[in-house]
Amino acid sequence: MLELRINGFGGQGSVTLAHLLAQAALENGEQGQALPFFGVERRGAPVRAAVRMSPTNIYAHSQCELPDYVVVMSEKLTEAAISEGIHETGTVIINAPQAVAVKKHPTWQVDAEAIAREAGLISADGPFINIPLFGAVCRVLNIPQHIMEQTIVNKWPGHNGERNLGAASKAYKSVIQINL
Amino acid sequence: MKAAAQVIMDTGAHAAALAVKSARVDVVPGYPITPQTAIMEALAAMVENGELHARFIPVEGEHSAMAAAVAASAAGARVFTATSANGLLYMHEVLHMASGGRLPVVMCNVNRGIFAPWTLWADHQDSFAQRDTGWIQYHCSSNQEVFNTILQAFRVAEQINIPIMVNFDGFAISHCLMPLTLPPQEDIDRFLPPFEPEWRLDPAHPSSFSNVTMAAEYATFRQMLADDILAAIPLVKQAAREYQEITGMWDGDTIDTYRLEDAEVVALAVNSMAAELRLSVDILRQQGIKAGLLRPRLVVPFPSEDIIQVLPRNAQVMVLDRNYNYGHPGGILAQELKGALFGRRNDITVKNRVMGIGGIDLPRRLMADEIRAMMEE
Repeated sequence: MLELRINGFGGQGSVTLAHLLAQAALENGEQGQALPFFGVERRGAPVRAAVRMSPTNIYAHSQCELPDYVVVMSEKLTEAAISEGIHETGTVIINAPQAVAVKKHPTWQVDAEAIAREAGLISADGPFINIPLFGAVCRVLNIPQHIMEQTIVNKWPGHNGERNLGAASKAYKSVIQINL
Repeated sequence: MKAAAQVIMDTGAHAAALAVKSARVDVVPGYPITPQTAIMEALAAMVENGELHARFIPVEGEHSAMAAAVAASAAGARVFTATSANGLLYMHEVLHMASGGRLPVVMCNVNRGIFAPWTLWADHQDSFAQRDTGWIQYHCSSNQEVFNTILQAFRVAEQINIPIMVNFDGFAISHCLMPLTLPPQEDIDRFLPPFEPEWRLDPAHPSSFSNVTMAAEYATFRQMLADDILAAIPLVKQAAREYQEITGMWDGDTIDTYRLEDAEVVALAVNSMAAELRLSVDILRQQGIKAGLLRPRLVVPFPSEDIIQVLPRNAQVMVLDRNYNYGHPGGILAQELKGALFGRRNDITVKNRVMGIGGIDLPRRLMADEIRAMMEE
């Protein structure tokens, strides 16, 4: 069973990101689970969500204690996210404008904000960084690109999904592993 | 050609709403409370857009929600409502009207800790505090089980004229997105035929019910309710078996077990923590401890005979309660278990912990560590 935790700020779309990842697992022929932690919701407050993927039934219902992957939606949260727990061989995926790395953990970086802005995925609150992050995380988890794309098409069929599809595909190709 | 089952991704709360829709309910009175709200929102939308041909009755509080449920059920409707925590407590008086009136209302209680102080997250004080209201209570450990159990609950409730509460954890199940298998509607219709009450309130044939009774009549009604709650056990088993024959899905009947046959240490718990406990059992087995799991699905009536039959000889049972049994050390499940075993299984040792109150996270390693610590006591 693969376990992943998303750390972000309220309003960044961590729940939708978790749902997309769980749906991608099902699309990929596995079981998936998205378990957002709902606190006292406020924009800007730190939030987290658990995601699990497994070829067999998923019985876990706790928040991921020592996840195999930690997705950091804002670079500012990196230290706090790691201190919440990560498996000793766990991988970190960070949304940041430039290369960053976490000590002792393989780290991937993607500029989700720039990709979202370029694709015009912007709301009154800012860019929809969760869409490019979905593409990037799928790449790091070795989920085939067509599975990632089908998941987006299923959720936003037709014209509505095109910009999402473009941004997620761009992030899928541009997320890079950092070697510092 | 026969329709095939469909697999979707869905939350526990929405799975509950889909089950209620497939049960073809007639009336849904509702008042929102976190984390149950998602069920009521989904049902209100289904009624609004015509997917569900039912009357949705928005009310001003849970006492009225259950009062509307009682009245609609007495008029012969198939009725569903849902609540959580303090909403369930506010219904307390009317819960007795539903059971005493022998009305087969089905209700989801999305387990949440009780005020004061406020909490939003799961523990089981709310449903366990309603243990003595004359309702049958299921407790579910997965989204799929919530869906399956609501359908089984309607069937059992209408066979025996007793209301049923289907409990599952707030957030850990209600807001957890998981794969959900939807059996074809024709299979569900075969499992759950339309509700045909033996009697109903009908203006064309005026009558009254639940009138003042003299002591002997009152005592007779109470005795019938007490007897019939116990008589629900074979119906619960039959419903689980027939549901499995039709849909291929099985969550256990009165109980669910995992690696129990040769277990020396048995974890006993309900709801989502009991699902994660399977993984704790695997951890303990890897550490050389012969561990197993016994999960009651049915808490009222307590499945005493099934537990007595299934527990391995000389087992230590570690009861993990997510509630307090105020006035006694520990929790309510442990007390129920001890009551069931006393004089019947003197070979069994029962140990108890209260854990996970107010939604404290219960990861598999933590529960495995706790069980190991309990073994030393």
